[in-house]
Amino acid sequence: MPLNINWQQILLHLLNLVILVVGLYLILYKPVKKFMKKREDDYKQREDSTQEALDNAKAKEEEYTSRLSAVEEEVAKKREDAAKELAKVRTEKLQEVAKEADEMLTSARERAQKEHDRIISGVSDDIKEIVGEAAEKVVMTSSVNDAYEQFLDAAETGAKSALAGKKKTVTSMTKTKGRSARKKQ
Amino acid sequence: MKTRTKKIIGWSVVALIVVALIVGIILTDGLYASTEDISDVMQDAVLHEENQVSIFGYNVNPGLVSAYVVTLILLALAALIRIFALPKFKNVPGKFQLAVESIVGWFDKLAKTNSPHRNSFLGAYIFAAGCYIFTGTIFELVGAAVVSTAGNSVALPAPLSDINGAIAMGFLSYFVILSGGIAGNGMRGVGRTLKDFSLPISMSFRLFGALLSGLLVTELVYYYIALSFVLPVIVGVLFTLLHALIQTYVLVMLTSLFYGEVSEPHVKVPKEKKKKASKARQGAK
Repeated sequence: MPLNINWQQILLHLLNLVILVVGLYLILYKPVKKFMKKREDDYKQREDSTQEALDNAKAKEEEYTSRLSAVEEEVAKKREDAAKELAKVRTEKLQEVAKEADEMLTSARERAQKEHDRIISGVSDDIKEIVGEAAEKVVMTSSVNDAYEQFLDAAETGAKSALAGKKKTVTSMTKTKGRSARKKQ
Repeated sequence: MKTRTKKIIGWSVVALIVVALIVGIILTDGLYASTEDISDVMQDAVLHEENQVSIFGYNVNPGLVSAYVVTLILLALAALIRIFALPKFKNVPGKFQLAVESIVGWFDKLAKTNSPHRNSFLGAYIFAAGCYIFTGTIFELVGAAVVSTAGNSVALPAPLSDINGAIAMGFLSYFVILSGGIAGNGMRGVGRTLKDFSLPISMSFRLFGALLSGLLVTELVYYYIALSFVLPVIVGVLFTLLHALIQTYVLVMLTSLFYGEVSEPHVKVPKEKKKKASKARQGAK
């Protein structure tokens, strides 16, 4: 054969190559590819699960955002209602207070008027009594001047007590110690 | 200062070794030349008529011995990786794991790119063929010596620098392409593959030519001892590495391309469309 081509040696080379191809495929190529495939699948699975988690998180975020906005709207509405209610209550309270104040003022005025009337009427009785006593004493005493002096003292004392509101301090001319008493002494 | 002293000492040692080697070469046989004629050496490198090796009573070319040695080396290496390294592979690869995965991944990707429809077997084949061509070509650099039947010492060449090895590789690649055609398209695939009948011859002789040229240049260089210094670094190592890569790439690329072409599923064109197309063509004429 030209170029020393030898069929037997070609077949031996072919046998060698077949052994090599099968051997390398079984020993190295297949296991390494299997490992790489497994790792790729693993990463793909991780990527899928991560993507799923990410999608879930996004969905939850959207849900929470929508919920939050709804809650915010609700809060704003409630705040507005509360403000209105507060304003209403305040107005009512103010009106009540004003009414109570009016009533209290009126009743105080009435009570004051009554007291005033009562004091005035009390003082008139006292004056009448004093005048009666004085007249009696004038009649009883010899001196008109003393009687006059006693009358003046009694009147003065009665007026003071009337002003102080002490009705019972001046009940009779005998208990007073005016200028006539001092003169007697 | 210390670093400089160390450097000086280191370079001095290297220089002394070189001088000692040169002196040794001159003293032994400085003008050594092979007893064989250079034309005989080169002719024998191509034809292997004289320097054959005897295995189990058969006289075979040294290239066949190289082929089996390379196969043994590759299978042993694969077994070592399978037994010791693969069980320790991690999801985040280390340097060695990355290298192994890159090689396997590169061939797998090449098969998938060029033959998208059918690529599982193709990937395995081009992986083995690529490893074989690359390692076989690099094996030439080892220069393992065997004794020929003529009694000469012969350095084991690259397996594919043997014409028989190159033919075996070319034909096996062709059969693989043919099998892809049959698996993908049945008889149509056979027809498609047989259309490229020159493919195994072109593949075989391309490999043979490329690797033989490397062998011949190496033989030429090493024939004269004076050329055996410095020059082999470029001719022997760099060129060998370069054409190992190139030949690996060319063969696996061609195989995967043709495999993809013949295994591509046939798309039936409806008859009406065909008629319309033919009418349109007639109208255009």
